[in-house]
Amino acid sequence: MTSFTLIEKIIRNRTDVSDSEIYPNNIVWVNLDLVTARDYAGPQVIDLFQKNYTGSRTFNNEKIIFTPDCYPYGNDPKHAKDQEKIRVFAKEHGIKVTDLGSGIGSHLLFRRGFSKPGDVVIGADSHYNILGALGILGQGAGDVMLAFAFKTGKSWTKIPETVKVILKGDYEWPTTAKDLALYVLKELHEYGITGKAVEFYGEIIDKLSIEERVTLCSLITEASGVIGFVPADKITADYYSESGIEIEMLSADEDARYVSELVLDIQDLGQYIACPPHPHNVKKIEEVIGTPINSIVIGSCTNGSAADIHDAAKILKGHKINPNVRFGIVPATREDFVSINLNGDMTIILEAGGNFFGAGCSTCANGQYGLTGGKTAVTLTTGNRNTQGKIGPADVYLASPVVAAVTAIKGKIALPKEVIKE
Amino acid sequence: MSKETIKAKAKLVIVDDVDTDQIFHQSLLTIHDPIEIKPHIFGNLEGYKSFGNEDNVGKILLVGKNFGKGSTRQQAVTGFLAHEIKAIIGESFGPIYYSNAVNSGLLLVEAPGISEFKVKDDDNLEIDITQSVIINQNNGESIKYAKIPQPVWDIIKAGGLLKLGEIM
Repeated sequence: MTSFTLIEKIIRNRTDVSDSEIYPNNIVWVNLDLVTARDYAGPQVIDLFQKNYTGSRTFNNEKIIFTPDCYPYGNDPKHAKDQEKIRVFAKEHGIKVTDLGSGIGSHLLFRRGFSKPGDVVIGADSHYNILGALGILGQGAGDVMLAFAFKTGKSWTKIPETVKVILKGDYEWPTTAKDLALYVLKELHEYGITGKAVEFYGEIIDKLSIEERVTLCSLITEASGVIGFVPADKITADYYSESGIEIEMLSADEDARYVSELVLDIQDLGQYIACPPHPHNVKKIEEVIGTPINSIVIGSCTNGSAADIHDAAKILKGHKINPNVRFGIVPATREDFVSINLNGDMTIILEAGGNFFGAGCSTCANGQYGLTGGKTAVTLTTGNRNTQGKIGPADVYLASPVVAAVTAIKGKIALPKEVIKE
Repeated sequence: MSKETIKAKAKLVIVDDVDTDQIFHQSLLTIHDPIEIKPHIFGNLEGYKSFGNEDNVGKILLVGKNFGKGSTRQQAVTGFLAHEIKAIIGESFGPIYYSNAVNSGLLLVEAPGISEFKVKDDDNLEIDITQSVIINQNNGESIKYAKIPQPVWDIIKAGGLLKLGEIM
């Protein structure tokens, strides 16, 4: 019997072809569990669907969700119109909409149990592969593929080779999953994972919460990888059982064929930061300490969860944000918003001088909160993209919520110990 | 399965790492009409700048390694469809270009070794889809390639992904 990697196994379960067709670099049809679209590209998908399939119904209205999350306020005439188009189409076809204020679609998919381990999901979001953190094959897709998928419930995919990555060692707070993710991005970018999938293993994985796993997997796109997987385990199963959902713990076969194996030593990992102009330009914080920062954002699909905001609140408690800094928080989902209200984190951050904005995406595209405006708004975000010019002309740094909070107090990039010891 | 073949004259553009900017330059991004895109194809590729205004209708294009790398640019696919190019055979293709082309109904054939294949402009080529072999009818030379994946052939036969959706 043939052995399979996790991605090969997931695809095998969702295709009609025989096992002999499941091998790296072959292209196969996949039966999708869920197709989503959002206010970015969603309106174009609707246009293509209506133009090409006039009068047709979708393949299954219960397997499609619209997740307008890209422009969470809808306060620009173009975005407001786009979002209206989505609501009208969704109503006509009986499709669910997680409307403004619900949060980032990719997060809602696991938070609300719309998608579970072993599923194959596509959406108009290049960070859909964060779902690999739960053993879900999530992939970004273009307008044409999504319109086709709305009609047929299928997409085609090239089966990628898989690199097995073993994380060896352990680290302690204030080092967090973001530092791990940045370090792993740096190493994998150098190693080369273009077009490949990754499976993460190591004792540290057993200690990472779902939110931390999402952070770890969220930077694979920035290394040009297809997806990073944390195979579903007890932590995943417990997470889903809270919503009353039973899952299958799909894992790779023991003798699966990996293209290569990489061991990364993460023992006593410190804090890391991605410097301009690319996410993979990762350095130890010590190398850029003292760099003045005047705009800070905590949010995005990488670090916008209640746990991330809690990390910042722990640092900010009893401190004031530097008057030169604008400090914004964009929670990933409504659920995260509720959590930080209930645990008091929101009050701590407001009293420190921070500001909250509606749940959704941030610092990744024009039209979202966190734009630099001019060249003087040097920015530090907890997001995943600092590509020059993406959110404005000024420099953008990427770091953990802990580093973001410390930097907010100091007005310059600083190490956590500078505040924690005080 | 009946024998499926594509027969056409060859046009050689054996250059490695041709990016989408060399196929259709970014300064022309506001152009979307296929007829207007057509004359600009390879307008930024040294040695092939006259391609767009030549008669290449219905030909099979032969290209080098990593063809179509760089930014997503639909015009870099649409332009070849406007020339009615029947297929592009290359050593390898940029992944985004590959999916854009296939979804639009432009057949790309990955054939490692094609740069060394004995062929010149306007030789009569045959792509035997059933046997996965390319034959130069002028000199009898042939080269095997990895089978075209079923989804790709399904899409090409339908004339593009959205067209295939009409019948699925």
